[in-house]
Amino acid sequence: MRDHRRRRRPAALLVATALAFGTAACGSGSGSASSDDPNTLEVWTRSDPDSAATYDRVFAAFTKKTGIKIDYQPVINFDQQLQSRASTKDLPDVMINDTALMGSYQSQGLLKPIDPASITGGDQITDKSWSSTVGIDGKHYGVPYSRQAMTLMIRTDWLKKLGLEVPTTWQEMLSVAKAFATEDPDGDGKADTYGIVAPGSAQNGYAAWWSSSFLWQGGAKLIEPDGKGRYTPAMDSAAAVNTVTWMKDNLFCGEKGVLQPGAITAVTSTATNFQDGNAGMYMTGPYNITTFDGTLGKDKYEVVPAPAGPAGGDVLAEGENVYLGARTGKDKQERALAAFLVSPEGQKIAMTSVDGHQPVVRIPVNSTLDAAKVRDDARWGVVQKAYEDASQQFPNAPSFAPIKQDTADALNSIFTYCGGDVRSQLGELNDTLAGDLKDQDLLK
Amino acid sequence: MTATVPAPAARRGLDKRGPHKRAFDKKAVVPWLFLAPGLLLALVFKFWPMAKGIWLSFFDVRPFLGDRWVGLDNYTRVLTDHRFQDAIGHTLILGIGQSVGAILLGFALALLLEGQARSLKILRTAVFLPAVTATAVVGELWRLMYYPTSDGLLNSGLHLLGLGPVQFLDNPNIALYSTMVMGIWIWAPYNMVILLAGLAGVDRSLYEAAAMDGVSLWQRLRYITIPAIRPALVIVLTLATIRGLRVFTEVYVLTGGGPAGSTDVWITRAYTLGFTRNDIGGASAASVVLLCVTLLLTVTINYLRKRGDAR
Repeated sequence: MRDHRRRRRPAALLVATALAFGTAACGSGSGSASSDDPNTLEVWTRSDPDSAATYDRVFAAFTKKTGIKIDYQPVINFDQQLQSRASTKDLPDVMINDTALMGSYQSQGLLKPIDPASITGGDQITDKSWSSTVGIDGKHYGVPYSRQAMTLMIRTDWLKKLGLEVPTTWQEMLSVAKAFATEDPDGDGKADTYGIVAPGSAQNGYAAWWSSSFLWQGGAKLIEPDGKGRYTPAMDSAAAVNTVTWMKDNLFCGEKGVLQPGAITAVTSTATNFQDGNAGMYMTGPYNITTFDGTLGKDKYEVVPAPAGPAGGDVLAEGENVYLGARTGKDKQERALAAFLVSPEGQKIAMTSVDGHQPVVRIPVNSTLDAAKVRDDARWGVVQKAYEDASQQFPNAPSFAPIKQDTADALNSIFTYCGGDVRSQLGELNDTLAGDLKDQDLLK
Repeated sequence: MTATVPAPAARRGLDKRGPHKRAFDKKAVVPWLFLAPGLLLALVFKFWPMAKGIWLSFFDVRPFLGDRWVGLDNYTRVLTDHRFQDAIGHTLILGIGQSVGAILLGFALALLLEGQARSLKILRTAVFLPAVTATAVVGELWRLMYYPTSDGLLNSGLHLLGLGPVQFLDNPNIALYSTMVMGIWIWAPYNMVILLAGLAGVDRSLYEAAAMDGVSLWQRLRYITIPAIRPALVIVLTLATIRGLRVFTEVYVLTGGGPAGSTDVWITRAYTLGFTRNDIGGASAASVVLLCVTLLLTVTINYLRKRGDAR
């Protein structure tokens, strides 16, 4: 008898364990329990816990105002998670993520088209912002939520010490970079300072991301729309060849110290020379302002418009859109949330930092708001002006990820091999981009 | 799923044992029940994803719109892509260099650190540390050591010798070898432990007999030690081969495949395809190709080992 029981106990335990695993495996795929409740919206944002805290406040205010509950999920590896949810055919109701992903999502059928007129307060969003949510078929597939543009962060204390002015052209920027590298602006008697920080790795497309402002300023484009929903690759243009040649000759293959050491393999997380205090200029997004204020000090650097190239001073504009998941059947509630998110009230909550948490709206899309005023920080006015007057987004109607990655691969390679022929390498890139467009049936 | 795992065993017991089935039944079931958690875990987290990966490699993967059958398109696309072809070369150089280096260094370390003394134990633990440190952390450490100015640890050493700063990671001709050195550093202690276990099993009397015969150190290694630890060497070699082919983390944290794709290996290429270009079908095809190659190599090594054993 005892024998018998002893044998049975582990078996029971095992069966229980197996059952537990079985249910866990089955349970993981399905959506949250509340997804059927019409008065609850499942909302995903690509956020770390820090910015999620800010979103929590935004959604709490929305629920208080409308009574619609929010099941909020901050997701860090957003795209992988979204793909697995897509395979269950049960998407989140509302998603907030990068503007550049719109075409990719739309081509996968993940998004619901949006009529701008159906969003209350949608008329307070500028046409420029709305135009960045137009998909390949001419319909809107997102509501603009937050915008930003690159600006130049520059060490004003170094400028002062060396008696230099804030650069306004590429040439001036280059002279300043050389001076920062050679004239010992930190005064420690060692040649350990550098001019410009560049994340030049091809990983995650950083080389294309950082170079894009230069390309716009040089008058180059990655791909060009024909106005009828088709595109042609444009990286073999004279403007592109000139711009890339300039970058290669003067920055990556130029004098030592113009760029930080290791620029060609640097990604944004390893290109920390500006905040470490050994590089003087960094062209990057305004989300770094909080970081730099903390590590470097507010008094040491300034946010200025990017130096202009031969074709002007346009920089890369980026941001986040509100996307509505396809086939979710809660249109009214979703539109109410979108309207709240872009309203002055919703934007203001998201722009302010409480308890030191990262704000989630950089430049408001609501034209009645002024970033510098809301944040009480004039530097944000520089960013807003750059966005409104001199910025271009990545073309996001096509699926942009392959285009960005191939451009990054090619630029990284050009900047690595200083002896190479830029024109023929860009010609190859152009062929690759044509292939990417062809894969999407978008090649003219 | 839970019920089916023990079933075959139960049925077999029933068929063969006839009237005594109850008692034997349980005996047949119990081992399977003990195996069940492991099997289930393997099924859910290994075999099912693997099967799904093979399945997806034949599709244009569109999770929401429904996957589209494309036959062998993904395979032709991956195998004809010149970046994948370059990656094969890099993977082989890195895999072979890293494996051979780590085995040689591991063997040398094992010979040096074999023994019972307390100091050796401490030293062995210290030497083993790289193998238990997270690769991402190791990568950051080596990035610092490889820093391309004379502030960097290695370059400051070279500076003392009057040699200029070497662009360890930024020179496309050197970057792959820099990655290899880090790989050897990580994996040598791991191999050392397995080889130490092998060395512990070597018959001491053989060494004594050899000493009486007055053999040289080299002869002792060649004719006693190496033959005696052959099983351990085979394990190390098999593991190193598999690891070498699927090398990813070392490259990803150190160079991300750059500069100019000079350190791009098979898996970093597949990763880029799957997760930055969103081409899950292509990435699956690339992974299946790697699986086949790994399988083939493992079987070959096993075959050679068996043939060697027979001889």
